[in-house]
Amino acid sequence: MNEHQTVGIVMIEDDEGHARLIEKNIRRAGILNEIRHFTDGGSAIAHLFEAPDGPAKNGPAMILLDLNLPDMSGTEILQRIKAEDSPLRRAPVVVLTTTDDKVEIQRCYDLGCNVYITKPVDYENFANAIRQLGLFLTVIQVPNVEADG
Amino acid sequence: MFGISDRLAAGKSTIGRVLIAFMALGFGSLLAAGIAAAWITLRNQQHTDWVNHTYEVELTVASARQLAEQAETARRGYLLTADQGYLEVHNEASRKLPGVLARLATLTSDNPRQQAAIAALRPRLAGLDAARERSLKFVAAGALNSAVNSFRAETGASSVRDVRARFEAMSNEERRLLAIRDAEQRASARTFYIVLAVAALLLLVVAVTSLSTVLRYTRDLAASRDRLHQLNGTLEEQVAERTSDLSRANDEIQRFAYIVSHDLRSPLVNVMGFTAELEDATKQLTSLVDRVEEQAPDVLTKEARLAAREDLPEAIGFIRTSTQKMDRLINAILRLSREGRRVVTPEPLDVAALTESSIAAMRQVIDDRGVEVRVQRPMPALVSDRLSVEQIISNLIENATKYLQPGRPGQVTVSATPLRNRVVIAVADNGRGIAASDHERIFDLFRRSGMQDQPGEGIGLAHVRALAYRLGGTIDVASSPGEGATFRLNLPAELQTVQETA
Repeated sequence: MNEHQTVGIVMIEDDEGHARLIEKNIRRAGILNEIRHFTDGGSAIAHLFEAPDGPAKNGPAMILLDLNLPDMSGTEILQRIKAEDSPLRRAPVVVLTTTDDKVEIQRCYDLGCNVYITKPVDYENFANAIRQLGLFLTVIQVPNVEADG
Repeated sequence: MFGISDRLAAGKSTIGRVLIAFMALGFGSLLAAGIAAAWITLRNQQHTDWVNHTYEVELTVASARQLAEQAETARRGYLLTADQGYLEVHNEASRKLPGVLARLATLTSDNPRQQAAIAALRPRLAGLDAARERSLKFVAAGALNSAVNSFRAETGASSVRDVRARFEAMSNEERRLLAIRDAEQRASARTFYIVLAVAALLLLVVAVTSLSTVLRYTRDLAASRDRLHQLNGTLEEQVAERTSDLSRANDEIQRFAYIVSHDLRSPLVNVMGFTAELEDATKQLTSLVDRVEEQAPDVLTKEARLAAREDLPEAIGFIRTSTQKMDRLINAILRLSREGRRVVTPEPLDVAALTESSIAAMRQVIDDRGVEVRVQRPMPALVSDRLSVEQIISNLIENATKYLQPGRPGQVTVSATPLRNRVVIAVADNGRGIAASDHERIFDLFRRSGMQDQPGEGIGLAHVRALAYRLGGTIDVASSPGEGATFRLNLPAELQTVQETA
């Protein structure tokens, strides 16, 4: 169970409000893992792959990804994470976005996304979804990046 | 279009009148030429008869003269030789002469001058004859001297010369007549040729004019036909161009709607989320206020109590209903844009059956509204996207049965007619109608017409129009308030799919 505590959550979400709501609801589900929040694709990629305390260099992580980002498309980040030579290719990625376009959803799963969640406008549903995601996080097994690499 | 057909019609009647006039003129001149020719021929015949008559008269004059001369000559020969042969010749000539004279008199009965001449000639010839008889009798009696004396005693040669001169005068008279008649004949022939020439000229003019008129008309007609043809060709192009413009604009709007609605959703998630957070917080505050009121009422101000118990819940309530409404609208736009982005698949449709199944699907609602919906058969063949056509027709029927004229049971008729290579589906009702100022507006999103006494968001017709555009069609409405409304959906009879990347 110790290892579970070390799994960091990287949230890539340009909307501060959404980020705050997601974080609140994750915490309400009793998840205390560290949550790192990035509002643009560039700094998120820098953290994921380059930062000394980032997932690539320092332990497993789960990634929450919004597709509508100001500087790049979320699918591009997904592609980078799930690329053949990526150290993070086994890291679970949850796409959490407003887009419910069928083609986009298919594309994300094709690229290797693990879960695709559409943000419901109905807040109760949204909160429930996030809390369940939190519950999911308490039992999820994440491969150790360093052990693999 | 109207201009051309008008001009064609006008040109036709003018050209008809001109042609008829020319033809009448042509036939008239032909008739005149014919009559003139007949008349001239008749005249010619008469002239020829007269000329022949003149020749005959002249011939008869000549023969009478010859007989007179012969009788005289034979007598002289008899006087000289007393040969019986001369006597016979003389007798023969003398016998014949009266007959010839009588014939001459009949022939010239129309000419008083010749009659007078004959009348003058007769006693002289008779005188000559008597003198000859006398001298001949002397010869016969053998008294040759007496015969010669009597011959000498006769005015003789002078009277013969007189007869000769008279015959000559008669011949001259006939020659004069011949000359006159000849001239007349030539004159009439000339007249004939002139008439013929004039008629020919007239015919030529008529022929040339009518030919050129017909040619010009034909050229005009050909030009008009070419123009029509061209217009027709470009018309189809124009329609195709317009349709592709429409569908392109439609696509753009769909994309725009999709993006906008998604981007609108994002802040709405926040508004609703934090409203929920506020509600939670308000609950905490309210329970705190309740506890404070119980335990330390003096701390609690009236404003704080009002804020926690009334202002905050009221504000949150309004925010919630507004965001919920906004959510419905955004969802409507999203649905619209999603429908617009759906790939249409043309297939042969039985519009009547499709309409009836749509009616069956909303039978309950229609019966509740007490409306009678009729489907007019037969309907033309249509190749289009089943789902889209179904949605359009059910939307139109739904609307038609919804907005009724109070006190008038609803009646809706669905019909379809072919129009060249298109099909017009009409949904006609006898409902409350739509004001002319709203005929365009009702197809806009969230816009509605008339009294707002029926539930609805103002999405249906916008949806219908988007679908119609999507199918390469158009939709319009004919209506006036209180008179019912007819929605006409104009679709291509055979939908051609344009491959697009959605």
